[in-house]
Amino acid sequence: MPAWKILNRIKERFAAAVERTDVPANNRLFVHVRPGDLREVCRHVFRDMDARYVISIGWDDRPHSGGFVVSHHFSFDKAGVLCCVLVRLPGDHPKVDSVSEIIPGANWAEREFQDLLGICPEGHPWPKRLVLPDGWPEGVHPLRKDVAWNHVPEGYNHDAEHRFEDPPPGCVVVPFGPFHPTLDEPEHFRLYVEGEFVRGCEYRGFMVHRGIEKLGDSVLTYNDIPMAAERICGICGSVHNVAYAQAVEQAAALGVPLRAEYVRTIMLELERLHSHLLWVGLACHIVGFDTLFMQSFRIREPVMWMAEKISGNRKTYALCVIGGVRWEITHDLKDEMRAMLKTLEKEWLAVAGAVKGDRNLQKRTKGIGVTSKELVKEMGLVGPIARAAGVNIDCRRDLPYAAYDKVDFDVVVHEGGDVWSRVLVRVLEVFESIRIIRQCLDRMPDGPLQAKLNGELPVGRLGVSSVEAPRGESHHMVVTGENNRPRRWRVRAPTYQNLQGIPAMIKDQRLADMTISLGSIDPCFSCTDRVETLDIRTGGSQVYTQTELLQMTRQR
Amino acid sequence: MQNALQNLFLSLVNVAVVLAVAPFFEGIIRKLTAMVQSRQGPPVAQPYFDLLKLLGKEDIESGESPAMQRFSSYLSLATLLVVAAILPVGGRAVLGGSVDCILLIYLLTLSGIATLLAGLAAGSTYSLMGMSREMMCMMLLEPLFAVALLIGALHTGSLRLDAILNGSVYSSAGFPFSGYLMLGVMLFSLQAFVGRLPFDVTEAETEIMEGPLMEYSGPKLAMFKYARMAKLVIYCFLLVALFAPWGCGSGDYLMNWLLLLAKVAVVVVLVTVVAATHARYRIDQVIRYYGILLGISLLALGLAVFGY
Repeated sequence: MPAWKILNRIKERFAAAVERTDVPANNRLFVHVRPGDLREVCRHVFRDMDARYVISIGWDDRPHSGGFVVSHHFSFDKAGVLCCVLVRLPGDHPKVDSVSEIIPGANWAEREFQDLLGICPEGHPWPKRLVLPDGWPEGVHPLRKDVAWNHVPEGYNHDAEHRFEDPPPGCVVVPFGPFHPTLDEPEHFRLYVEGEFVRGCEYRGFMVHRGIEKLGDSVLTYNDIPMAAERICGICGSVHNVAYAQAVEQAAALGVPLRAEYVRTIMLELERLHSHLLWVGLACHIVGFDTLFMQSFRIREPVMWMAEKISGNRKTYALCVIGGVRWEITHDLKDEMRAMLKTLEKEWLAVAGAVKGDRNLQKRTKGIGVTSKELVKEMGLVGPIARAAGVNIDCRRDLPYAAYDKVDFDVVVHEGGDVWSRVLVRVLEVFESIRIIRQCLDRMPDGPLQAKLNGELPVGRLGVSSVEAPRGESHHMVVTGENNRPRRWRVRAPTYQNLQGIPAMIKDQRLADMTISLGSIDPCFSCTDRVETLDIRTGGSQVYTQTELLQMTRQR
Repeated sequence: MQNALQNLFLSLVNVAVVLAVAPFFEGIIRKLTAMVQSRQGPPVAQPYFDLLKLLGKEDIESGESPAMQRFSSYLSLATLLVVAAILPVGGRAVLGGSVDCILLIYLLTLSGIATLLAGLAAGSTYSLMGMSREMMCMMLLEPLFAVALLIGALHTGSLRLDAILNGSVYSSAGFPFSGYLMLGVMLFSLQAFVGRLPFDVTEAETEIMEGPLMEYSGPKLAMFKYARMAKLVIYCFLLVALFAPWGCGSGDYLMNWLLLLAKVAVVVVLVTVVAATHARYRIDQVIRYYGILLGISLLALGLAVFGY
């Protein structure tokens, strides 16, 4: 079903509500609706038309139209259409009807634009602060255009602590984080535990939020952002890199040479390979099976070497520029890659056999961290989590990008919904990735790697792009702008949605299953927080206070 | 007088040998695990260096009650060393045969209690959780060993340690069903006694961050680590003495020791291989597993009463 048909169905119900529409391609749909009808339109799209919720994004459009914009993104996976429902809001005291009651997965996204833009989601069930630090004064919204990227407001209290809700009666609070040895990233779950059972939790994250999106629309330029984007995540960096480039290309209606599309596909699949191998290893480590952990890291190593040969880096490939890629895959590299894939396939078959036959591992993962199809729908869960729960979605097939429409592969789906199914999905996806890379190597045409750009990119256009990261769909939105940089760039990493499913997954489970349940979504807190930076100098002997660290980061 | 001195000397030799070889076996475990995992692994002598390093570190008092914490760390090693002191090597009575298996059971339980104390004294959430797990495990695990010793006592009609720790489980009147049954139970629970995967739930780094030991560092941690290593050797020794005493009864003292250590090494290898190929069980699964073993051991005890 192409985009215009979906549009017609929305118009049938809400003829008066739709103010303006835009169908830039068969797979993209932008519907501007009246603010008063937003909630009903979203309900119709999400419930009646059964679209998958992707993300809600707000931005400050006051310099251009005098107001704010909020956009709810949905994906019609079977039809292969990304649909954005937009509303324009006044410049003073912007308010928008909250859709979180209808779409529980929109909870965080609405709190995020409330924090960062001051757009009030009216009727939100729990409008608690989400992203901004706890000592940040009310009424200062960093993503507004009149707030500078390095602005520190009066009265900002560095040392303010988060006010957690009171635990339910009869429960003990077990802190999980801010640093926990199994996850190596800052996150803070306050678990409400009764005996050995988890009864609930509260999450406080965004502790390493560095405002990369603000940098994107105020400091960096179009071709700088891919570099920053891939530093959002140390595991799936290239995903963000490609997703951003594609969003800009889509907004500017810029074609990419076919060879570049193939190179992107190969690099994305290499990334999936190393990520899945890493995850299977880590999952084994979490349940104490270190032998398989070590083995899968050993098997993974040649993938890293391959990436280094192509791009000069084991990670952060610096792959994309707007309209193409930087790196070439030469004939020699093709042969080497084929040989690498052959060994990998052989060794991974052995691992897959060991994993499938391991009853011990099954005991720890079967029936644990269960997600139902309903939860997937309500929370907008993506990737292996959704596929392990029997929801057949995969952006590579549903919303094809790069060269994925030119290769054959299967989408691995399991019905269990538990951690064990997620293990199986990821283990089997490795073979599909190998298949995709092999086909790409065979079918890659010769040709240029970058498109020729003629002058400035058009201004004020919207581009959205979804890329299937190893952990699920990564979604980027770009509004093109002046001064060679976008007006707004928004990243939604898969963990942003998947994390919101965690409270339901761990409820009434044993505490011992908490780590593997959380680990099974392969949480990437830096993706969610968007850019974590690590200064190796601070690892030295000097101990810095928080204030000193902040001063150091602001000096440059 | 001379006899008493000789007795004391034998005990001291026991303690010295256990202290000397415990880190070595730990080194073997690490090296072997590394080989299974396609790694290089640390040198076999690494545990000695680790202990020296920890002993040389600052003794930090962190936790609820520092005095109790220090006491529990010494207690954990001390009880195991006392156990070492009363072990009859090669069926040779120690301390004039005045020690019995009741004392052994007490001491082994005391070493578990040292861990409980450690967790309780540290007082953090994770320590307490590790402590409660340790307690649950102890209640089911400790009786297993007691039953094994008791079966030996029933067969030999003596509580003397040198009589029991000499393959006594097989010396029943009829075919020793109970002995073989108990051998199976002990083999299946050995990993738990020495606190290794898949039964290291009380320390489980990725779940409760070392549990009771979370608040410990420096010399106190060294004590716990040393105790853990000694525990491995002692339990392997007990297993060998109870179930595989062959060749240790005669010959000279030195040969007895060498044969014993060789047997212990075999058991250690077994422990390592099992630990390297298993994922950790969850606490409820562990409890159920111990429960089944306890049931079987009680059956064995029943058989022993009737002379099998």
